[in-house]
Formats: sequence, C-alpha cells, structure tokens
Amino acid sequence: MGTADDRLKELGITLPDPPDPVANYVSSVRTGDLLFLAGSGPAKDAAGKIPLGKLGEDMSVEEGYDAARLVGMNVLGRLRKDLGSLDRVKRVIKLLTMVNCTADFKDQPAVANGASDLLVEVLGDRGRHSRSAVGMVSLPGGIPVEIEAIVEVE
Amino acid sequence: MSEIERRLESLGYGLPEQVTPVANYVPAVSVAGVGLVYLSGHVPRTPDGGIVSGRLGDGMTVEEGYEVAKQVALALLGTLRAEVGDLDRVTRIVKLLTMVNCTPDFGDQPAVANGASDLLVEVFGHKGRHARSAVGMAALPGNCPVEIEMIVQVAG
Repeated sequence: MGTADDRLKELGITLPDPPDPVANYVSSVRTGDLLFLAGSGPAKDAAGKIPLGKLGEDMSVEEGYDAARLVGMNVLGRLRKDLGSLDRVKRVIKLLTMVNCTADFKDQPAVANGASDLLVEVLGDRGRHSRSAVGMVSLPGGIPVEIEAIVEVE
Repeated sequence: MSEIERRLESLGYGLPEQVTPVANYVPAVSVAGVGLVYLSGHVPRTPDGGIVSGRLGDGMTVEEGYEVAKQVALALLGTLRAEVGDLDRVTRIVKLLTMVNCTPDFGDQPAVANGASDLLVEVFGHKGRHARSAVGMAALPGNCPVEIEMIVQVAG
C-alpha cells in the first residue's frame, strides 16, 4: 500500500489547512505515543461555507453526515499539519463525536458515521477507531458537529 | 515550598480543599505506566460545600462564566495536588473538556472556557498549554454553569 498522500490523491481529496486556536490552548498535545487533539469543527464545504445548524431542527441526518465528514477533513488536516505526515498515524484510537441537536434527536450515530467512514476510507485499518456519539444542547458558533480524537503516533 | 505553589501564592490564588465524592468513583486516577493523571469532572462550589448554579444565556453572562471556569480550574489543581503530592511533578497539562450549561442558542462556550485555560497557562507557563474542547450541555450536576475534566502528564 502506498502512502496516505497517495490514497488522498486516489480519492480526489484535498485536505484543508485548519485554523489554529486563537485562545490560550493548542491544537494537539503529544504525551508518549498518544496525541490528544482539541475539538475540531467542520471545514468549509464545496461552496466555501462552514455548515451551521442543529440536527432535529433545521438540519437533516444526511446534511449532518456531510458536516461530520467535513469535520473528519479538519481532523485529518490537523493531524497532517501537527505531525508533518499522515503516515505517522499508527492508529486512530478514539473519537468523541458531539452532535448539536434537539432533545428528542436520537440519530447521533448516523451523523457521526460521516467522520468515521472518512477516516477508514483514507487510513484503512489504521483508521478503525472506538467511538462515542452524543447529543449536545449547543456547540461553539452554532456548528452542527464537533469531534475530539485520540491518536497513536510514531 | 514547590515552585508552582510559590507562583500560586504570588498570584494570590488559594487552592480549595478537595471534596470527597459520595458515590462509587474517585477524584483522580493515576496511570503509572504512562505518567498520566485522569481527573473526574469538577464543578464550582459555594463556601459551604454546595454547588454553584446558573446557566449561560439565561441569567449568567460570559464574564461571570469566565470567573466560574477559573474557580473550577483551581479546584482541579487542588485535587491534582492531593493526587500527585507536588504540583512541580506536572510536566504538561494535556487536555481539558470544558462543559458549559447553556441555552440552545448560546455559542460562546470558548469564551467561558478561557477562564480555565488562561489560569492554567498563568500558573504553569508553557507546561500549561493544553488541547481543549469547549461544548454546550443541556444540564449539569446541581444545575451548575461549568464542569471541567482534565488529563495531566506527570513525572517521577
């Protein structure tokens, strides 16, 4: 199997350059072989906009899936930026996928699949992770999905 | 006296007494093999040991939330000190999960969380620079406005 960059080219995916935090925290911290990432929001979509919305109110599960995939793009972009190369990812260990939703919305896992599917698509077996998918009453800036990741690195 | 204790004193910060959980969990767990300490979620306390209540976007301002987050960060440090004995053993504040009790339309969780992040960098300098998530919750224990979890790397 080729490198992660080969795979991205194969899939026709260009990773975004995610914005760095503007407050008193950093995008990721490495301890031993574990990398803890700060929460990521969605990257800009094809129209150049960051999706905003609340599942169960003004966003469908399909739109939520697409938004989660854009968050996955930001997570991969952040990993490549902070590690230098996605090939240094040994294993995606854990995702916490947080869905901005109404109190009666129960399809958080279907939304979270947008990110999980992308990670496996790009990283193969190294992208197979444990996951929690939960509902939040709101998220920063009104984004629909935010994801934290814990990754094992070389 | 440890260097960090000296810094806390010069900044005028006292660490609160640790509150012992009355349920089947502990305030912190040290994972010796990897030098990590996982702290339980901490909530803001009143002087008599009760829980401060409030909700961002519904009676509590961002500035007030910032101060509450700062108090919670100090409570976390109190527990950390009890767990590791000496705060100079901290080599890195790794990760914060800052949970803000707020209305569905409140989007300024990061501004509230800054109360904790700024405090940690003030006390620990570059070792205090952590990864963070700031999120909105429909409810929190005791109807408190902010609850924070923390993961810390320690040496020795």
